[in-house]
Amino acid sequence: MDKFAVLQFYALLKREVLEHRNIFIGAPVVVALLLLVATIWVAMQIDQSQLAEGLLFVSVLFDGLSPFDMAPFIMLLAIPFYLTLYVCSVIYLINTLYQDRKEMSVLFWQSMPVSNLQTVLSKIVAIVLVAPIFYVLIIFAMYLIAMVWLTILGISNDVDLVGIGYLFLAAIASLVLIYISAVVTGLWLLPSVGWLLLFSAFAKKTPLLWAAGVLILVGFLEDFIFGTQFLANWVASQTSDPNQYLIFEFQSVFERVFNYDTLFGIVVGSILIAGAVFMRRFTD
Amino acid sequence: MKDLILRNRYTLLVVTLIVYMGVLVTEGMITGRKARVIEFENPYFDFNSTDFEGFRERRNVNENIRAEFDDTGDV
Repeated sequence: MDKFAVLQFYALLKREVLEHRNIFIGAPVVVALLLLVATIWVAMQIDQSQLAEGLLFVSVLFDGLSPFDMAPFIMLLAIPFYLTLYVCSVIYLINTLYQDRKEMSVLFWQSMPVSNLQTVLSKIVAIVLVAPIFYVLIIFAMYLIAMVWLTILGISNDVDLVGIGYLFLAAIASLVLIYISAVVTGLWLLPSVGWLLLFSAFAKKTPLLWAAGVLILVGFLEDFIFGTQFLANWVASQTSDPNQYLIFEFQSVFERVFNYDTLFGIVVGSILIAGAVFMRRFTD
Repeated sequence: MKDLILRNRYTLLVVTLIVYMGVLVTEGMITGRKARVIEFENPYFDFNSTDFEGFRERRNVNENIRAEFDDTGDV
């Protein structure tokens, strides 16, 4: 790949981040602030001596434990961020190509030296690879604030802080797992990504209704024509259990990515993404 | 053929969905796909949204253990 193509793609990614700052940065910042405010409120309800005892308990609990072993438990703190990323991704994917046509910026971008394929790929890379980076950075900032607060609390109450250091290391290890989980989720749900992009490029109005309506309609049609329910089975298999794409151990990354269902999902998702790329030529 | 597919947005949508469904149905027929969840090794958390029966059973077991513990009283 030549340097110009890399710069083009970087510019497209930058455009996505700048145009969707609320989704990439605003939403996780709000979640982090809500969590911090909730934590401060809870801490204010607890007596100072009890707070010091709790801190001592946590410090003893984590002292000497491997950060990689404890990282999955710290990941539980990221659940609100996962849910936010999930909802924001759906909103982003269903609106992104639709919005381009609605505000006619598609004409400007098509006059630029970038292809429809590059534009659509930049949107997928932005939500699958780039958005989780922002979420992880904001979670890291939240952990940092929490650690500073715990350290001050520990020093003022004469609590041994070695365990808190291990807790911080576990939190850092969990950030890597959170990012890998988010990326694997994006790959696992690539057919859903493609479906939303296809209808974002297709619909003249209410793309979400089109996406949901056609999914139900095609499911019924398959049952009428072939007498099978492979679409419903496929959707149920892909979406029903988050355990299939959440990563709790570094060793399990390979088997989550290189298994038949993920790879077949990437193939099927590519068909829908190709449809979205071709659909982008209809700008009316 | 290309002109027919790319005539308007509706023909393109229909063709995309036909290819998509064609691949899904063919793969489903070859592999005999059923709604299934791949159970990966996860030693940390036991959550499977499709396994409500298992969840209920585990809860009953926990309640029985708690009831037995209550019967023995504090030592």
